[in-house]
Amino acid sequence: MSTYSNQCAIVGVGENQRSRKSGTTPLHMALTAARNALADAGLEAKDLDGIMNYSTAGDSCPSHELATYLGCHPKYVKDVSGGGSSTELLIADAVALIEAGMLETVLIYRSMNGSSGEKVGRGYDPNMLQEMLPGGSFIMPYGSASPTQWFGMFANRHMHETGITKEHLGHVCISFYEHAQRNPNAFLNGKPLDMETYLATPDISMPFNIHDCCVELDEANAIIVTSASNAKNCKSKPVFIAGMAPRTTHSHVHYWTQVDEVAADHAAAELYKSAGVKPEDIQVASIYDCFSWVVLRQLESYGFAKRGEVGDFVAAGNLKMGGSLPSNTAGGMLSEGYTHGMNNVLELVRQLRHDYKGTDRQVKDCELGISTGWAGPDIAGAMILRN
Amino acid sequence: MTKQTAYEKPIPLKTQDNHEYWDAADQHELKLQKCSACSTFIHPPGPACPTCGSPETEWELLGSDITATVYSYIVSYRPFLPGFQHELPTVITVAALDADPDVKIMANIIECDPEDVEIGVPLKMTWVDITDDRALPQWVLARG
Ligand SMILES: [Zn+2]
Repeated sequence: MSTYSNQCAIVGVGENQRSRKSGTTPLHMALTAARNALADAGLEAKDLDGIMNYSTAGDSCPSHELATYLGCHPKYVKDVSGGGSSTELLIADAVALIEAGMLETVLIYRSMNGSSGEKVGRGYDPNMLQEMLPGGSFIMPYGSASPTQWFGMFANRHMHETGITKEHLGHVCISFYEHAQRNPNAFLNGKPLDMETYLATPDISMPFNIHDCCVELDEANAIIVTSASNAKNCKSKPVFIAGMAPRTTHSHVHYWTQVDEVAADHAAAELYKSAGVKPEDIQVASIYDCFSWVVLRQLESYGFAKRGEVGDFVAAGNLKMGGSLPSNTAGGMLSEGYTHGMNNVLELVRQLRHDYKGTDRQVKDCELGISTGWAGPDIAGAMILRN
Repeated sequence: MTKQTAYEKPIPLKTQDNHEYWDAADQHELKLQKCSACSTFIHPPGPACPTCGSPETEWELLGSDITATVYSYIVSYRPFLPGFQHELPTVITVAALDADPDVKIMANIIECDPEDVEIGVPLKMTWVDITDDRALPQWVLARG
């Protein structure tokens, strides 16, 4: 078993009110999320000695700025550029620094005007992409500029080889939309989805229609990680970091050259070994869901269903409440909102703390959960949490 | 009045590592980078061989008679870059070169009915003159 297993815990989670148009800046939203996470943990801003943040194309606020306006002076701040799986990456960094004795309590946040500001899914400036994106000159001239298209290229080959159908994608969406109907803070609460409607919705980019794509919104989330010994002094029930595969990569940076491989394929062995558990031990999940197919592909990568059987696994209702792997129980990024993965982690923490006990939102008696992150076929990361 | 013929789409950016590929494309030919140490094709081109790490690379001219098969593809109904709004839906493929299926070349499949595209169908490379001095490699369905 790994040396870091269960020696650090998540003790606070918080968010702002998600919306289509925040009317405010990422700094204001991050302050709200951070204050809520501190209140959840029963900590004060001065208790933080580290603050970390991730962003894409400068769409957030720097952690030093957040620290200043929280009224604290942490000794360590860090801002990284990254998308999905950066939550897992930064939690791993925090764990390492805490275990090395350099830090004690770290706040990690993601804040983005994902709807009213820069939209990840709607494409980027073409010249920026050709200069900044590896091999951009070999994809941009052909109109390939959106994750919808990049990931769709992987999805179509994978579906062709494994027999996954459009209906199987629909089962992922319908399962998560069902969860959103129990979550008043889900953006698509009050907007349930059935298979007939799903299948009748035209594609934006094959195989994805609007329901297969996450809901881009203005939102901020924050998470507080501290040592297990310090967690005893917090107000909340600690959720321990039991195992991690903080970051894995595709074998080629120009990942479109090899569409049969995804970075998540390389994470499972390290993840389960570090936690000392198997896929069948996991009781609740946060599976990165920027697109429906990404969930199916990761279920295969992380060993929840065999290649070729993933479609049947979701069609049988296993992602729903009462299934073998209730996943994205707040609605996921497909129907709750998109905070680049962090909102799914907030929900996983709340499930493992049994915050919903006595309601139909609680995954009964769950003790062990997985969170998977996906920046793309190129970058992944995952962690196992336990109460 | 703006010229109707102005090319709106992104034009491939020539760099230190890739200009031989695009220079050949301008002449309607396919030229691929190859590792001098392990003889693996390197596409897209780069500063060294991703297979063995060797910095010693050369270029091989494959000519103008290039065939491939569809390895994967997408049909896009929305434009994500300028210029594509005129050509919807857009078919984009990752095609496996018949000469070496490990080499995948991304391009559009032009002049096709998206209904005729599926994984495994044969393709032929063509070059579209996009400006006075630039040409873009594209795929068309190989008939017959
Ligand atoms: Zn080589």
